[in-house]
Amino acid sequence: MEGLLQLLFNGLSVGAVYALFALGYTLVFSVLGVINFAHGAIFTMGAYFTYLLIGGAVGANGLLAGLQFPFALPFWLALPLAGIASAAVALVVERIAFRPLRDRGSDPLLALITSLGAGVILVNLIQLLVGAESYSIPVGTLGSLPAALNIAGAKVRTVQVMLLAISGLLLAALSIWINGSRSGKALQAVSEDPITAQLLGINSSRVIQIAFGISGFLAGMAGGLVGLSISIAGPYFGIGYGLKGLGVLVLGGLGSVPGAVLGGLIIGLAEACVPADLSGYKDAVSFGFLFLVLLIRPQGLLGRPQSNKV
Amino acid sequence: MDAGLLEQMLLGALLGLSVYLPLRCGQLSLATPGFFAIGGTVAALLSTRVPALAGSGSTYPITSVLLEMALAALLTGVLALGLGRVVLRLRGIYLAIATIALVEILRVVTLNLEFTGGALGIFGIPQPFDSAAGYAAFTLALLALICWLCDRLEKNRPGRAMAAIRDDELAAASQGINTADTKLLAFVLSALVAGITGVVAAHFLNSWNAKLGNFDASITTLAFVVFGGSRTWLGPVFGGLLLTALPELLRPVGDLRLIVFGAVILVGPLFFPKGVITPELFKSFKRRIRGTPTAAAQGVKP
Repeated sequence: MEGLLQLLFNGLSVGAVYALFALGYTLVFSVLGVINFAHGAIFTMGAYFTYLLIGGAVGANGLLAGLQFPFALPFWLALPLAGIASAAVALVVERIAFRPLRDRGSDPLLALITSLGAGVILVNLIQLLVGAESYSIPVGTLGSLPAALNIAGAKVRTVQVMLLAISGLLLAALSIWINGSRSGKALQAVSEDPITAQLLGINSSRVIQIAFGISGFLAGMAGGLVGLSISIAGPYFGIGYGLKGLGVLVLGGLGSVPGAVLGGLIIGLAEACVPADLSGYKDAVSFGFLFLVLLIRPQGLLGRPQSNKV
Repeated sequence: MDAGLLEQMLLGALLGLSVYLPLRCGQLSLATPGFFAIGGTVAALLSTRVPALAGSGSTYPITSVLLEMALAALLTGVLALGLGRVVLRLRGIYLAIATIALVEILRVVTLNLEFTGGALGIFGIPQPFDSAAGYAAFTLALLALICWLCDRLEKNRPGRAMAAIRDDELAAASQGINTADTKLLAFVLSALVAGITGVVAAHFLNSWNAKLGNFDASITTLAFVVFGGSRTWLGPVFGGLLLTALPELLRPVGDLRLIVFGAVILVGPLFFPKGVITPELFKSFKRRIRGTPTAAAQGVKP
């Protein structure tokens, strides 16, 4: 029983981060119909922002060697600030890699390449500025919380509980925003049909910016949380998450918000269930799922089927 | 120019062609690095584990390399035939993601299997050529052959059917084109080119591991085609040559080179949405060579 509960917690806390990550993909996909390949890099930026804001010092290899902010914020304050900074980065990415294509009426699939270019720039900028070494966010920044909690006999790291709680909170806030607010409804309208939405008086450009901002915010928060629970393994560490996020995205259904959450949790749990001696294959789990789902139900678990229009 | 860099550029051009083939048919498949990795693994295994192939001379016989290419082509072709039937039912971004998933599954499996050397890979792959220049000459011949075949393909019936599917799949189907088979053909040809390229790359690189066929490679090879253009085979060749050389040519800017590389693939599609090389470019070029026909030449009386 304890073992099962432990497994459940491990899986859900990892899955919650995947969900946060995939939600960012989904928001952009729902309004633009393309995948933002710079998303992984924005996630990485969020982790580094969090590290700097809690007062971490830059190592010796980058241009900014030895840089350290004169203040050290507690984690609960640093994380949302890092999210906001990541949102700003996402807006810049939108401005340079997505908007020019829209303005020129180019093939939307080109955004795959331009966003990838933006991602390459961001990742290498990080490497140039702070070097390739790994950093970790000490659990001490959480304040005087115990390192582990005992829940019904299962020993659970406090960080995991936090991951779950913060992700749950963000997901709830996001769904309230999408279904309850004016701008959230505008987002739904744009994802339904951008031109009609524009005709009805919705500023599609503005909605797309909002989607990118929120997407960057979620990615930045997810980055900070992973930095806390595991570590920041260098400028490239977002790429693996970026790929898994794709798996989550397709599993849940492209463009579906509840789907992204469900997909994240399923893949997190499935990975937690991979036995230790087969752990090398863990990274293939999400892609195996993804592949099966695409073949059996291409629209994803909660997505809507596409029809062939002439 | 350094022959080693030239060889890498030629391999890049071949991979560009492999991505171009399905894209010409409107299918965004990113499976090229997967088939490339299979080709490389076949070459690495055969040349290091099968003594009969090694021959008696000091260098590895080229006939053995050709045999490896044939086997790699057979394996990737059969695999693509089976997988293509399934994945080509997907469209657009869904196909792209499914093929990324294929590549990643393949990478993780190669990384974990014993006989592929795990994370370290396979070392000491024998050399059929003494120098990089030999490789470059061999690869250039291969590239020329495949370019010629692509050129033929663009002009014959299956190639035109592919272009029709790219422009409008439903319209093509209504004109009696077997869209499923045509798309499958493009996918299999793409796999063959990637597999054969993998064989050459494995010998050239001297060692082979799972990292060579990863997601990065999927996207970089796609960038070759998007940058160069997907309307004619010259586009991916140009894109592959240029973008493979770029990080090396940018070595003088030091740490900034990958940032500049990123900027090039970011800005390229903005200014050249159809790629740098387009059929229109050819036409205007030809017109310029022949000279613009003047009013007098057209027989118009003043």
